[in-house]
Amino acid sequence: MKKNTYNSIHDFLNDTSFSNWALNKQLSDVTFWNYWLENNPDKKQIANEAKDILLGIKFKPTPVSEDKINFEWNKLEAKIKASKNQQIDNKKNNYKTWIGLAASILLLLSISIYFFTKPNMITYKTAYGEVLDLKLKDGSLVTLNSNSSISYNEKETRKVWLKGEAFFTVDKKEVSNAKFWVITNDLEVEVYGTLFNVNAKKQKTQVYLEEGNIWLSLKNGTSKKMKPGNFIVYSAEQDKILEEKKSILGTEQTSWKDGKLIFNNYSLDKALSKVTETYGCEVVYENSESKNILITGAVPTTNIDICLKAIEKSTNVRIIKENTKLVVYNK
Amino acid sequence: MKKNLSDEILWDSLKKGNVEAFSILFKTYYASLYNYGLKISKNETITEDSLQDFFIYIYEHRENLSDLNTIAPYLFSSFRRFIIHIIKKSKKNTFVRDINENIIDIHFTPEELITHQESKTFQNQNLPKLLNKLPKRQREVIYLKYNCNLKATEIAEVMDINYQSVNNTIHKAIKNLREDVAIIQLLNS
Repeated sequence: MKKNTYNSIHDFLNDTSFSNWALNKQLSDVTFWNYWLENNPDKKQIANEAKDILLGIKFKPTPVSEDKINFEWNKLEAKIKASKNQQIDNKKNNYKTWIGLAASILLLLSISIYFFTKPNMITYKTAYGEVLDLKLKDGSLVTLNSNSSISYNEKETRKVWLKGEAFFTVDKKEVSNAKFWVITNDLEVEVYGTLFNVNAKKQKTQVYLEEGNIWLSLKNGTSKKMKPGNFIVYSAEQDKILEEKKSILGTEQTSWKDGKLIFNNYSLDKALSKVTETYGCEVVYENSESKNILITGAVPTTNIDICLKAIEKSTNVRIIKENTKLVVYNK
Repeated sequence: MKKNLSDEILWDSLKKGNVEAFSILFKTYYASLYNYGLKISKNETITEDSLQDFFIYIYEHRENLSDLNTIAPYLFSSFRRFIIHIIKKSKKNTFVRDINENIIDIHFTPEELITHQESKTFQNQNLPKLLNKLPKRQREVIYLKYNCNLKATEIAEVMDINYQSVNNTIHKAIKNLREDVAIIQLLNS
């Protein structure tokens, strides 16, 4: 039912039939109100004011990118986890204030010791054709591929700098939820506990995740979450993601740690460039056509002679070692 | 902005310390709070930092939060208070008694308004200028009502004024705009 009196602007705004007219929604209401306004010209102004309130001012949506939101959430989540640990620590210390006092004195002492002795960087390096298994202080396992190096601060073994390639089995610290970082020239990998491969050879970094969850912070400031099976190649120099795959055959990425290189329908050129990464030599082709010969199979990473023989057999070429050069002849 | 029954469930799980619920809350409201914060502070870093601290505050005090049926007005009003406090602290010369209305000075840009407004009155290229001429409080009400789509009762909660004055402020704002548009049309004719 329509009211008989429409005096204040609220009378109009609270009337559904009126708002149907304003929003041009229901024909019967539209007709009624047009007629009504014809007959009540003194109410026109107030009715139009009410109409403008109902129609309002329209804004364009101003979305915030999903990447940014995820990045901010990631930051927040880390802080929450950190504060949880803090709380646990606080509870432990609360009832033993004296120990706390003693601890702070000890802390002062250790800080001064820290400044006098400065933390040592520990570095492990592998030569060509050498694969090294390492166990870090926190229990994490690292398999370092040939011609690679890994360094970490003696005091902070869960943050490592990587050159070359390594496979990580990071121990999850359930209690402290402490993170583990792998830092290369292109990106940082942030983990809680997983199995993954990082290859930082050739001005780019490839990351393959076998198990668990990891976060990448790329040098260009963006961050990315990886799921098991994901593979990504990023170059800071070119400032772009060169390759990104949802799921790849993991053995191809990680077989090196079992002492094998797996070629899955590779061209000889690609296969030999893998070999040179491992053994550090240069390849020269007598006939460049042989670059395109396809090869499938596995070769060892620690014995170059057997490796080359295996390749010779399956591709029907001759590979002669001349100092640091590998010369490929057609048979 | 989403508002539904699940708000209640979400809020309840958050109070119990469910991080998943907290993540949903964060991701649902981040964009609108960020835009609101940016309008108030006019500074991206301040807005980002305040939001981080604000959500941490919520998480740390989750057990003491009151029960809610709708989350949006609560988040808007507490974040508003939060960021005002931060801005006040950063400005050394403001008086403690400086009222919040002086700090919140929302400006509209032509880019954020739809060119073809539904209301004929507002189909005026001077609309952004006219909006910015309105008193501060009217501008904020316009922003919360028409950009954030909050109801009058919710705006009352956010701005800490009563329901009736929200309605009156909207009416005054629209009336002012209509008058200004009429004057411009008169001058141009």
